[in-house]
Amino acid sequence: MMGEIERHALASHPEECCGVLLGPIPPDFDRQGRSVEAQEHRPLANAWESGGRGTRYQIDPALILKIEKEFRGTGRGIVGWYHSHPDLPAWPSPFDLSRAWPCYSYMILSVFKDELRATRSWIRSEGGNDFVPEALEIL
Amino acid sequence: MISCPKRWRSYEEEEKNMSVQVYLPTALRSYAEKRETVELDGKTVGEILSALTGRYVGLKEHLFSPEGRLRHFVNVYVNDEDIRHLQGVGTAVKPGDSVLIVPSIAGGSTALAEGAALSPEELRRYNRHIIMPEVGLEGQKRLKAARVLTVGAGGLGSPLSLYLAAAGVGTIGVVDFDVVDFSNLQRQVLFSTGSVGKPKLQEAKARLSGLNPDIRIETYETRLTSQNALELFKQYDVIADGTDNFPTRYLVNDACVLSGKPNVYGSIFRFEGQVSVFKAPEGPCYRCLYPEPPPPGLVPSCAEGGVFGVLPGVIGSLQAVEVIKWILGLGDPLVGRLMLFDALKMQWRQLKLRKDPNCPLCGNNPSIRALIDYEAFCGVRSAVGASNGSPLPEISVEQLKARMDRKEEFYLLDVREPFEYEIGRIPGSHLIPLGQLPERLGELDPQSDIVVHCKMGGRSAKAAKLLLEKGFKRVTNVAGGINAWSERVDPSVPKY
Repeated sequence: MMGEIERHALASHPEECCGVLLGPIPPDFDRQGRSVEAQEHRPLANAWESGGRGTRYQIDPALILKIEKEFRGTGRGIVGWYHSHPDLPAWPSPFDLSRAWPCYSYMILSVFKDELRATRSWIRSEGGNDFVPEALEIL
Repeated sequence: MISCPKRWRSYEEEEKNMSVQVYLPTALRSYAEKRETVELDGKTVGEILSALTGRYVGLKEHLFSPEGRLRHFVNVYVNDEDIRHLQGVGTAVKPGDSVLIVPSIAGGSTALAEGAALSPEELRRYNRHIIMPEVGLEGQKRLKAARVLTVGAGGLGSPLSLYLAAAGVGTIGVVDFDVVDFSNLQRQVLFSTGSVGKPKLQEAKARLSGLNPDIRIETYETRLTSQNALELFKQYDVIADGTDNFPTRYLVNDACVLSGKPNVYGSIFRFEGQVSVFKAPEGPCYRCLYPEPPPPGLVPSCAEGGVFGVLPGVIGSLQAVEVIKWILGLGDPLVGRLMLFDALKMQWRQLKLRKDPNCPLCGNNPSIRALIDYEAFCGVRSAVGASNGSPLPEISVEQLKARMDRKEEFYLLDVREPFEYEIGRIPGSHLIPLGQLPERLGELDPQSDIVVHCKMGGRSAKAAKLLLEKGFKRVTNVAGGINAWSERVDPSVPKY
């Protein structure tokens, strides 16, 4: 799965790529230090207006609605999101923070042309003022 | 098994049919007892949402702005139709309808904040930035949206904050608790002669706001401590370290690592300076470079060792360069590199810094997970401790004066440099500079009562410790040194 996400990020350069991470919703989803197992991913189109996709991504809410409905009542669902930062480090920007939701894992891939430099995962801090890094274990 | 009376069951079913089903996204279920759906009554979407946040108060901040408006990154659908295409929160709902809350997911690599538009005056002010494609309008807005904290309004903090203000960094926080002294003016270009005796922050705010009235200056007239650092740092995007002492430098480093903020570091000593950007976990931190602080007293402060006045101008300006590059995402940040500047040789050297896998803070198995007592870590408190661990005897300048007035017999030892002795001295003192003390111990009587002083009390503490280690029995340090003497006993002795 990681290989596919990385290929998605590389293929989208110099634009940002984005996608959803799916898995069982842990009972302690809102706790920092919780463990989230993303078992599946789906690449999604970057719906930000063209011309701005080098530094921005957006996911069509209609797609999110569809996914939420698909997983309704299963105990599984959206555990996080991934997106790439072309030619910039894999740590979140203030813009990422301004749009961050609680609980989700936000995985960021730093991609320089043909090279994946770093992949990091983050969770919004409890107060919402910051991102806290999460350990990323590739199974 | 007890069955429900028929009438009751039908009432219950009716109740269920009367309600509107609200579906919550995974991110918000924790705030609603982990529920995926909630049944609520109401005639409009607005009524349903207020019933929802009334029942689950924790949801409110995620759905509504403090002014009570639905946040723009919250999408609400009624039966798969976006309410923006209907009547917004006024959209009517009827029993059996579904209301779906769907997060709007967006982000990106840059910091453009909505609403950071530039006025015509700002467009004129920042014209030379905006016409460079590397900055442009987008970059200038990013600077406006950025928040930078400078720790210290001294030699480094002066050029640093002036250039950040001039560049249009929208919010600059400054931490300091000092008062402007005449001896600051040789390098602290934030201040003027009229500032002497006034609080640094008050003067800094006036100067920076005068330079750029379109930005916000947040002042914190306090000592940065393990108790307040994390709370303060989390409000900023970048931290710039302009401190002049080791406990605060380690505190800034540790708080930056623990809060994930970049630490734009600068330090100066006499004619030499250093600059780097510490950013863990991606790069090394200050502890990877200096795992242990130097022994107390080994590295004199600017007040004790002096500093070439223009040097902080060079180093602090480079810190501003790195802060602005960082905000704009431009070029190569100084992460993993340490620049060393020698003003006398006019030479720059660049050292490659590696992340220490054994770093107790940012290494593979960190042992430091919270802020510690930095004064103790740097041995500042034990700086006045004797070799056997017991506290070093100390007297105040007033006590020294009283002993002199009582004509007590003791040997007053001044361990400053000869040029300092020329500036001013305490009557009856004998000069042996600290560096010469080990070879000149023979000039002192081990049985006599020795009182040691220097300019501020640091070097004399070191001298006193050395004397005790060499077997001298009665040694006392003068707290605050000759500067305290000048302030509190005899103003005719020049303070420098």
